[in-house]
Amino acid sequence: MSVWFINIGMNRCLWIAPPLVAAVVVFAGQPLAVGAQTDHSYTSQDIQLGAGLYTAQCATCHGATGDTVAGVNLRRGQFRKPMSDDDIRQTITRGVPDAGMPPFTFQPSELTGLVAYIRAGFDVANVPVWIGDAVRGRALFEGKGQCGACHRVAGKGPRTAPDLSDIGSQRNPQQLARSLTDPSSQMMPINRPVEIVMKDGKTIKGRRLNEDTYTVQIIDDQERLLSLDKSDIRTLDVSKTSTMPAASKTLTPDEVADLLGYLVTLKGQL
Amino acid sequence: MTFAARTLRAFALLGGGLLALTISLHAQRITSDRILHASAEPQNWLTHNGDYSSQHYSLLTQITPANVANLESKWVVQDEVFGAWQTSPIVVDGIMYITQRPNDVKAVDARTGRVFWEYRYQGAPDARVCCGANNRGVAILGDTLYMGTLDAHLVALDAKNGKALWNVPVADVRLAYSITLAPLIVHDKVIVGVGGGEYGIRGFIAAYDPNDGKEIWKFYTVPAAGEPGSDTWHGDDWKSGGGSVWVTGSYDPATNLTFWGIGNPGPDWNPAQRPGDNLYTDSVVALDADTGQLKWHFQFTPNDGNDYDSVQVPVLADIDWQGRPTKVMMWANRNGYFYVLDRTTGKFLLGTPFVKVNWTSGLDADGRPNATPQGPGLPTYPGNQGGTNWFPPSFSPRTGLFYFAAWENYGSIYRREQATYQPGRNFSGGGPAVVTPVPGAPGVGIGRRAAINNWTDAVGNGAIIAMDPKTGQPKWKVEEYDVTEAGITTTASDLLLTGGREGYFQAFDARTGKLLWKASLGGQIVMAPVTFAVNGKQYVSVVAGHTLVTFGLRD
Repeated sequence: MSVWFINIGMNRCLWIAPPLVAAVVVFAGQPLAVGAQTDHSYTSQDIQLGAGLYTAQCATCHGATGDTVAGVNLRRGQFRKPMSDDDIRQTITRGVPDAGMPPFTFQPSELTGLVAYIRAGFDVANVPVWIGDAVRGRALFEGKGQCGACHRVAGKGPRTAPDLSDIGSQRNPQQLARSLTDPSSQMMPINRPVEIVMKDGKTIKGRRLNEDTYTVQIIDDQERLLSLDKSDIRTLDVSKTSTMPAASKTLTPDEVADLLGYLVTLKGQL
Repeated sequence: MTFAARTLRAFALLGGGLLALTISLHAQRITSDRILHASAEPQNWLTHNGDYSSQHYSLLTQITPANVANLESKWVVQDEVFGAWQTSPIVVDGIMYITQRPNDVKAVDARTGRVFWEYRYQGAPDARVCCGANNRGVAILGDTLYMGTLDAHLVALDAKNGKALWNVPVADVRLAYSITLAPLIVHDKVIVGVGGGEYGIRGFIAAYDPNDGKEIWKFYTVPAAGEPGSDTWHGDDWKSGGGSVWVTGSYDPATNLTFWGIGNPGPDWNPAQRPGDNLYTDSVVALDADTGQLKWHFQFTPNDGNDYDSVQVPVLADIDWQGRPTKVMMWANRNGYFYVLDRTTGKFLLGTPFVKVNWTSGLDADGRPNATPQGPGLPTYPGNQGGTNWFPPSFSPRTGLFYFAAWENYGSIYRREQATYQPGRNFSGGGPAVVTPVPGAPGVGIGRRAAINNWTDAVGNGAIIAMDPKTGQPKWKVEEYDVTEAGITTTASDLLLTGGREGYFQAFDARTGKLLWKASLGGQIVMAPVTFAVNGKQYVSVVAGHTLVTFGLRD
């Protein structure tokens, strides 16, 4: 099988590991020319610089994980409209007056650092992971891996586990790899399984979607959206253990790589 | 006049009838004497924190624990500029003055919300603020409003028509100075402090002539070489030593001292780069209001490396302390400790942690912490936003309790880096790392976010703490699931009004913490509610998200 080691922090496999790839490689199901990435070949120094600038200048509004402005998740590369690297630079320097973002003054090298940090998914570690074949990965997802028994993709499958239609945008490959080998470690606290016993004795199992002081919102095992008043709840147990078995227990390393290769292609585009 | 005497006087005035009081004061100018006795006219909210004691406590009693459930929305004003809205309005004889970012001012009818006039300030485009283009409010004296601006100017406006009367630069915007706080009027002076603690400023507090903006005195929060306190700095570190001032101070007429909380040293997160205690950062300073001369200081966090700005509101009260009537200052600090100081001398009286703390193993008899810095990659508690922060606390003379919002079980992991000072550029020396103490969980950002609380209580939770200042122990505590930046206001009917990130506006029994009423306003509540009366009817206003909602009892 053909596999590539990529720099997932950068999500830029094509220039990081040129010895491992031919002139044309297949990534996310689309052929891309190596030369197409040369404009955005950031260094680890760029990312480090960007990390410092981001924390100092951007994190106060965008948050340490880049997701505190509605409709924008910088770490996961989500914006209100498609953004090229040049678009990001321009947004930083011009600001978004209607949204309350002021213009910032940075040196060109600093702008490069910020874009690098954002494009690196806020990951300064640059740890490579193994990405396999997406087509075989999809077959594993729907077959031997039994992922589709709980997860939904593009409108197909159950909703009790998180919908993975855009997981390739939501998480970087390194995080996805960890999800496959140690699911509980990557489970967002809000997504934890809950078991609720109401004061009337009824038991509800599901997955937490949101919670505040007075209420909790879940999707139950019947796929119903429920908003419950805590005053009606006798016990609310939140499990820190994912119900998902580690893929590394049932699949070979090559198969895990293929599955990962499929997951990184799930960008939510319909 | 002591606070107790003022309270009695206010009760006496109220006994004469609130309606009559309201009418008699209409159309009168806001003299410094009226500001001095602001608590005696509870139909108004004359200063940023209600009165000079900053107790955020109102003598109004029309809304009570028994009828608070009958509150209904009377009017709403929408913020017309996107971004977190941290303003706190003042209310003057039926007129409310509100600011919105960056530096707009509105005068509205406090009974209906209808707008009399708007003022839009055109600031310098190169103004830099670390943490949002916020303005927290205006001050009034005579018929004039005073506002600090993001480009570090002080502006005077005609309160009747919103026209600018004068505009003076307070500091150099090119060095990233700014003003986000509401000015404090003391007698014939307008006092402000400057922001910019993330940009290597040298902070200061200064007083200006209300007639023309001419500077009267200036106190630098970081002493120059050779000045008292300069031995807590090495070399030229003081020149970029920070010490920003971005929350309005208090004033004690009995001693003529004005008290201000001072922000972090620069660079924020690399204390090794600025050895020494770094006075007067992370301190409270007591200044002679006439001269700006330092009378005393108390430093909460020497050589701070965790961004524990001491920019909380200094809350003043006269309480019985170990059998003696004592003029105290109460202070829940960002560093996770609650303090009581003698405000006449600055003497440390009490200090107890109110959240999980590991940056210090405790305080000595003088209140100085024994620092226990955490190693690389290890979490520091409380985290970067602190055990509490800038949002106003409250003190009720009736209950004797000090109320504040806290962030519990919340830590941060830091990066520490060498910083190079460049004028007007960021000078932070590191910051919170992306990773959080809770694997897989996102960090908590400042300000608004999407409606999903995706960090959950695994990362931290909010709390309303009713602290007994005599013991340093909570009398009661109410936990909130999400963290909270909501300030608190209490009333003489023993109501406690506050909110939080979840957008609930809530009324509690100030004596017990029992929830009496809540309304979901659909936007993060920061700052504290204010209460006032027009034509004898009490109202409560609170900012939630992009709306200022004013509640009153159902007719």
